[in-house]
Amino acid sequence: MERDERTVVTHSRLTSALTDIHFWVPVAVLLGGLLLLRFIH
Amino acid sequence: MQSALTPETAPAASDTTRSRKLQLLGILSGFTAGAWLGAAEAPTKLVSIGISPIVISLIMVIGVFLARWSLPALVLGTASIRADVRRAPHLLIWAVLAGCLWAVANTLTIFAIRDIGLSIAFPLWNSNSLLGIFWGFLFFNELRQAGWRRWTGVLGGALVMCFGAALLAMASSTQASAGHSPRGVWAALGAGVLWGTMYIPYRKAYLTGMNPLSFVTFFTFGELGMMAALAVSYTGLAPLWRELQSARGVIFWLMLGGFIWVIGDVFQQYAAKYVGISRGIPLSNSNQLWGLLWGIFVFGELHGRGVSVYLQVVGGSLLMMLGVGAIAFSSATGKEQTRWKEAAQREGRRYGVAADYVEARMEGRQLAGESRPGRSAWDWLLVGGATSIFVVFATMARVPQMSFRWGPAVLLSAALLLLLMICGLALWRTTRFH
Repeated sequence: MERDERTVVTHSRLTSALTDIHFWVPVAVLLGGLLLLRFIH
Repeated sequence: MQSALTPETAPAASDTTRSRKLQLLGILSGFTAGAWLGAAEAPTKLVSIGISPIVISLIMVIGVFLARWSLPALVLGTASIRADVRRAPHLLIWAVLAGCLWAVANTLTIFAIRDIGLSIAFPLWNSNSLLGIFWGFLFFNELRQAGWRRWTGVLGGALVMCFGAALLAMASSTQASAGHSPRGVWAALGAGVLWGTMYIPYRKAYLTGMNPLSFVTFFTFGELGMMAALAVSYTGLAPLWRELQSARGVIFWLMLGGFIWVIGDVFQQYAAKYVGISRGIPLSNSNQLWGLLWGIFVFGELHGRGVSVYLQVVGGSLLMMLGVGAIAFSSATGKEQTRWKEAAQREGRRYGVAADYVEARMEGRQLAGESRPGRSAWDWLLVGGATSIFVVFATMARVPQMSFRWGPAVLLSAALLLLLMICGLALWRTTRFH
């Protein structure tokens, strides 16, 4: 029962992170940086 | 005699005093960060040419990794880090993400310096402070209801610092750049964008109550993982190993640079926590000024250069100090801090972090009833292990033959230690490093 609750909380935190713009902005910038690095190397 | 403070106004007055104290602490942390981040360049100057920039960066990051685990273990103990992670586990993602951003930005700066020289590259990536102000305003309510005077102080100060940085960089560039390649400009701008965006995770972590010492221990996994992946993909595993073996004599100096950098970064994290990223980033960007002090007085970098170069140095330094002063005198007011608290509550609600914990940590306090963190045998093992690794590489280190002035080096080191003691003591007394 307790484990189920913990799983639900973990899932809800993950969902919150994946729907958070504060997560996607750095991810997009990181991907852009990696592409730029590939281009200039 | 009756106190002028009624029971209702007394806590409010105490809150204001506390918040003013934390603001001053954040500003002091920003200054100290600048000094230590600038000093981190000194050991790397002892490394002669012949090792690829990516390998230099990788070795520094290995030193950083060791420091990021041993320092928090020494100051608070890993039990405190575990407790922090249990309360806000989602922040691990942001810590690793921030580490990855740092590693890519650092690699881009290497290419920028190669293509356009330090004098153009440095001011371009220093624009990260302007982006930090933008993200702080957009996502974390920084500078909201701050009034035009504070806006002018922060934005104007950051711009003046950028001009000062440009002058210093022009003066300190010791060799002509390899041509104004647009590729180098893109690399420097890219590094600025990555570093400016890296502060989103920083601020997010500190608004939700995470201790900077906990954040950096996970940040470093992203940092080392990404740097190792970049080094292997650009150099190849076997050539990378050969380069590392041939660099045995200088590994200690590079790791020492990384270690000093971590001390500066920890103070930078406290600055981001207590004055926000819009003020914390420009303050710690004063590292360029300190780097130049080491270069000029300890390594004699501008020896024999013309008067115009010295004028650039003096002018650039004055501008940097003016900008730092403008930002330092523009600390957040009560209204702006209320908006910060709103942003913190929003984060707490979204990720299910207890409101009292978020509030206590924003005020640099422990939660009522929270057990005091202690150090275990595991912490001492970590500290001992990291120290032993440094000692082993120190025994292999070669001292290069180069111009080195001991007098200024001792003076600058004393200034660093003094700042470390003052700021460390202030943090301990006010927050117990929370």
